[in-house]
Amino acid sequence: MSDRPPPSSPPASPPVGPRVILEEETRSPPPRLDFEWEQAVVPVAAPRPSVRWSGIGRLFGGLALLGGGLAALDAANFVADQFARGPLQGWATLGVVASGLALLGGGAWRELRGLASIRAVDRARSAFLRGDLATAKAEALRWAGSVQEAAPLQPAIRNAASIEELRALLQPALATLEARAALLGRNAAVQSFAVTAISPSPGLDALIFAWRGVRLVRQVAALHGLRPGLAGTLSLLRRTLLDAATVAATDVAVDAAARALLSNRLLEQFAGEAAAGAVAARRMLRLAKVAAEACRVVPPG
Amino acid sequence: MSGLLDPFGLLRDAAWGAERFGRSLIGQERIRLAVTGLTRAGKTVFLTSLLANLLAAGRGRRTLPALEELAGKRLRAVRPAPAGVEGLPRFDVAAHLAALAADPPAWPARTEDLSTLELVLELDRQSMLGGLLGTRTVTLELLDYPGEWLLDLPMLGDDYARWSAATLERLRRGRRAEAAAEFLAFVDALPPGAPAEDSLARRGFALYRDTLRACRDRLGFRFLQPGRLLNPGPRGETPLLWFFPLPQPARGGLATLLAERHHAYVEAQRRDFFEPYFRRFERQAVLVDVLGALHAGRDAFEDTAEALAAIAAALRYGGGWLDWLTGTGVDRVAFVATKADHVPARQRDALAALLGHLVAAPQGRATGAGVTTSVHALASIRCTEDDVATLDGRPVAAVRGLLLENGRSAKVYPGEIPLRPPDPGFWDHGFFEMPEFQPPKLDPAGGSGVPHLGLDTLLAALIGDVL
Ligand SMILES: Nc1nc2c(ncn2[C@@H]2O[C@H](COP(=O)(O)OP(=O)(O)OP(=O)(O)O)[C@@H](O)[C@H]2O)c(=O)[nH]1
Ligand SMILES: [Mg+2]
Repeated sequence: MSDRPPPSSPPASPPVGPRVILEEETRSPPPRLDFEWEQAVVPVAAPRPSVRWSGIGRLFGGLALLGGGLAALDAANFVADQFARGPLQGWATLGVVASGLALLGGGAWRELRGLASIRAVDRARSAFLRGDLATAKAEALRWAGSVQEAAPLQPAIRNAASIEELRALLQPALATLEARAALLGRNAAVQSFAVTAISPSPGLDALIFAWRGVRLVRQVAALHGLRPGLAGTLSLLRRTLLDAATVAATDVAVDAAARALLSNRLLEQFAGEAAAGAVAARRMLRLAKVAAEACRVVPPG
Repeated sequence: MSGLLDPFGLLRDAAWGAERFGRSLIGQERIRLAVTGLTRAGKTVFLTSLLANLLAAGRGRRTLPALEELAGKRLRAVRPAPAGVEGLPRFDVAAHLAALAADPPAWPARTEDLSTLELVLELDRQSMLGGLLGTRTVTLELLDYPGEWLLDLPMLGDDYARWSAATLERLRRGRRAEAAAEFLAFVDALPPGAPAEDSLARRGFALYRDTLRACRDRLGFRFLQPGRLLNPGPRGETPLLWFFPLPQPARGGLATLLAERHHAYVEAQRRDFFEPYFRRFERQAVLVDVLGALHAGRDAFEDTAEALAAIAAALRYGGGWLDWLTGTGVDRVAFVATKADHVPARQRDALAALLGHLVAAPQGRATGAGVTTSVHALASIRCTEDDVATLDGRPVAAVRGLLLENGRSAKVYPGEIPLRPPDPGFWDHGFFEMPEFQPPKLDPAGGSGVPHLGLDTLLAALIGDVL
């Protein structure tokens, strides 16, 4: 039966007009359609990012290969030549080359490890965001192993039953770390305030500020169990500086801290004439705050 | 509106182009996705589904397989951009989802005001050096607005005399004429040179407003201007709106007053609606309720096509040398037949094909400007399953769902969807209004997104290249 009678008698052959056909009424109202969407969209495997060589990547790779490969070939030839002169010269040259290579390799290894430790933070965060308990647990355990304050938490982490629980467990340790980062920030702020207040040129200020900033970021990273090398520091710095989204949120806290810091009697004497110093100090405080946020294994909020 | 006439607009374009370029260099791209659709086309539901499903995809749910395939599992997280200092309401996904999931469920009401939301997609970089540079973000800028307002865009280029002539000509055509009879009689009886008498203006306005309402609600017409008259927005009706078309050439105080109001209205819409939101965008989704237009009859169907063409003509698709110079322009446009769950699976291709014909003019305009275009059939929220009904003793493919009004289960046979604009004989079976369906069972928090049909392919076509 149709609840809307067709306005004119439909033609005998198609097309027939659209219709609504009500089904038999049942005692209880029929349940909502259920496409079992919740089950259908559960991830089958943990996502793994794919990596591709970009143009720039190839360029650098090529340069490194050429430079490194040719240098290695050169060195090998040189060693062979030296052996031809005499065994003593040969062995001595080989020793020099080998130690040089070992140093280079050691440096590269540390850089890679530093970078990897930062990627691990990312992994942990995305696991928390996705609600992937197993990965989040594993990452939290690894993190707890590298941070002194969190070491006693390890058994509790192993027993955590939900993401929320895990978050709550890590919270106090993270708060401690944050307080320490803030302290580091205050030290750096006082130092850069003092330096800018007495230094003769703005160019020098900027240099000192940059150096102190990099040091601060590395100190904060070390608090969180990260040992970033050069590459890792760069990556952290970029994240810290470009993450404009967090800045608005942190500004209020920073303002309060700056005011507390600058209300010190002695500093007040300067602050009037050294407004630049106040700005530098405030930036340091913010840097400490944002760097700490960038190193947290648990995403903020 | 040539760019040469508006040097400040040109400067702003250049600044915008430079900013977008700089952002793409440091891996913080911003993309404005303009969702255009006439009233009831399904914009609000589309945005709700898009946001819910992208947020779920950011949590690792596989709600958008085609997009995921393109993103190569590089999608790290998706979050709404933190609120800044915007003076506009934020698009409230959570509230819409909760209403759709509630018992009894409710679809979003007619949109009455602008609202915006920005979505930040965080992605891993593709290159080996990615670790050095950290993640990349793509920010999607989205806007929801009342569909009626879109018809104000074609008004921007016209003065009062031309607008009046074109509007009256349209009102005297076909089925609109019955609805407009009283208004047309009123304006035709006005003496030439009528004075600027407030009561005359108010009466003409009231008649015109009733005409437009009847055209929209009873007859399914869409090319109705001005848009704010049908949907005045949160502030309600203001004297600015009290104008209506007069037979041309018109002289006298009334004509001058109406022309002044028309001009002020057009300028206000240009300043508040076009310039900030539709002057520049990178991607566009044109949503069309093809089935609704088809069922509303021949006049309404053609009216929809005309409205879409007029809107497209008022937008800038780029491709000119000025656009090239300022670095603005549209990259991709997708034409979308919404509510595809109103037809069974095997008719959805026909729906897309029919849409292709309906939007031939806008599509031609976009392609001419060098824009990549595509045509899709989409159900933002899938509310039906395919079924078979028996009509006049013959089995036909139909869809089955629960009716919103009484919760009863019903099969709907949507008719045969023609592949191209149908011949006159097709319209013989009269008008039909598709019933509203209940949304399916949903998680009120939207943790796993919402069931859809084809949203992933649409998004892949629209933003797949920046992921
Ligand atoms: N079955 C089904 N119905 C839909 C879908 N999308 C929209 N609808 C129906 O279309 C109606 C209008 O959708 P809206 O998204 O509110 O339309 P809009 O374009 O925002 O309209 P305005 O706010 O008036 O401009 C909804 O109330 C639903 O009944 C869909 O994917 N499937
Ligand atoms: Mg809406």
